[in-house]
Amino acid sequence: MINHHLSDEMILAYAAGALSEGQAMVVHCHLEYCDHCAARLREAEALGGALLEELDVPTLTSLDFDDMFAKIEVSEEMQEPLSMETSDTLQERATPAMLRNILGHGIEDVKWKRVGPGIRQYVLPLDLQEGENVRLLRLSPGFVTPMHTHRGSEMTLVLQGSFCDETGRYAVGDIQDADGDLDHQPVADTDVDCICLAVTTAPLQFRGLIGKLMQPLVGI
Amino acid sequence: MEVKGIWITENISDPKKGMDRKRSEFMRRVYKIMKKVQLEAGQLKGGQDLTADQLNDLLVTLGKKRCKSSFRTLFDFYAPRLKSFFLKVGTTEEIAEELIQETFVQIWRKAQTYDPSKAASSTWIFTIARNRRIDRFRSEKSYIFEDDSYLHKHLVMEESQSQSVFEKEIGHKMHKALARLPANQSEIIKMSFFQDLSHGEIAECLSLPLGTVKSRIRLAFKQLRSILAELDQ
Repeated sequence: MINHHLSDEMILAYAAGALSEGQAMVVHCHLEYCDHCAARLREAEALGGALLEELDVPTLTSLDFDDMFAKIEVSEEMQEPLSMETSDTLQERATPAMLRNILGHGIEDVKWKRVGPGIRQYVLPLDLQEGENVRLLRLSPGFVTPMHTHRGSEMTLVLQGSFCDETGRYAVGDIQDADGDLDHQPVADTDVDCICLAVTTAPLQFRGLIGKLMQPLVGI
Repeated sequence: MEVKGIWITENISDPKKGMDRKRSEFMRRVYKIMKKVQLEAGQLKGGQDLTADQLNDLLVTLGKKRCKSSFRTLFDFYAPRLKSFFLKVGTTEEIAEELIQETFVQIWRKAQTYDPSKAASSTWIFTIARNRRIDRFRSEKSYIFEDDSYLHKHLVMEESQSQSVFEKEIGHKMHKALARLPANQSEIIKMSFFQDLSHGEIAECLSLPLGTVKSRIRLAFKQLRSILAELDQ
């Protein structure tokens, strides 16, 4: 049961193809868990389709149907037929398919790096726009993240365990979209390690001595 | 062309009626030829008057029978609109037409996966066009949108039948709903889709605080949902 969903703005931006790569990736992973948001996405895409139909109709200058069709027929002979296979459900896989494709394996085989007592991370090898970062975070049960705020935004998807902060409790499949206004201190609150996929668009601002010491280690 | 089309349907809809066998055979042939002419007349017109249902049927026929004439009709209807779309999001005319071609190659290849109970043809084609654009300009991000049908294939299965029916209807009613949205809300929706701007950039563009842009988007979706629900009754 998912309790924390994507905002309408995120759904709209994803439907329009306007999100940054890191954000789009994390949104996609949440959609794999969440039928509710997937249905809302289709709603937003239907909006895109309706807007497309309403556009004016300029004439085509060089594109011609028959030329195009001839090219398609030629390439058709070399194409392999489209595969229609279906894969397992997320419950059976534990790792979202999108993430598995990037990692090449599931979250159980991640090579974690320790960044402090009770916190490990793995930065995804993606070529992102400047300032953006996608990482897996692994918090030991009871780990309290130092109080921090965000200059940009931070979107966090829970893959295992759960955490809670001032805004509520986040379990598997839940997504938190924190912007510059949120000043929070997430705590891993179950007896298994809490594993999250997080995208940040600008470095987090840690507060307090422990946080300041951790800043260079986390490198967020 | 249009007048001719109507004449054909009204007058040759039942070739057998009140005719002897020989005559009826002749008329059947005429009917067949006229039907073809009528179809071509529709194609020449650029399919301006096609309904959402007709467009969905064309896409289904394309998927099932690899039907070239359905493909051509879809091309005549959508290619100019796609050109408008690609131009709006900032491509040159040349690239816009390349992207239209890429979109139609995908439509041809993937039509068999189209399911009219899950999405209107306009929705389905929009997502393919969007993905082609992402693929062209931000190839590093394209893997995310690579498999157009992934979300449809894997996530919709769980949902109830009634939900699917509702979604099919959405595409058809969205036009009406859009027209009833306050201008300041539909403006932001259109900018999101057509100007390749983040919501922060839209806020800058309209000299509005980001919070206002976000709340207008939320309001717009809330209104759209209630208008769509109203149209359902």
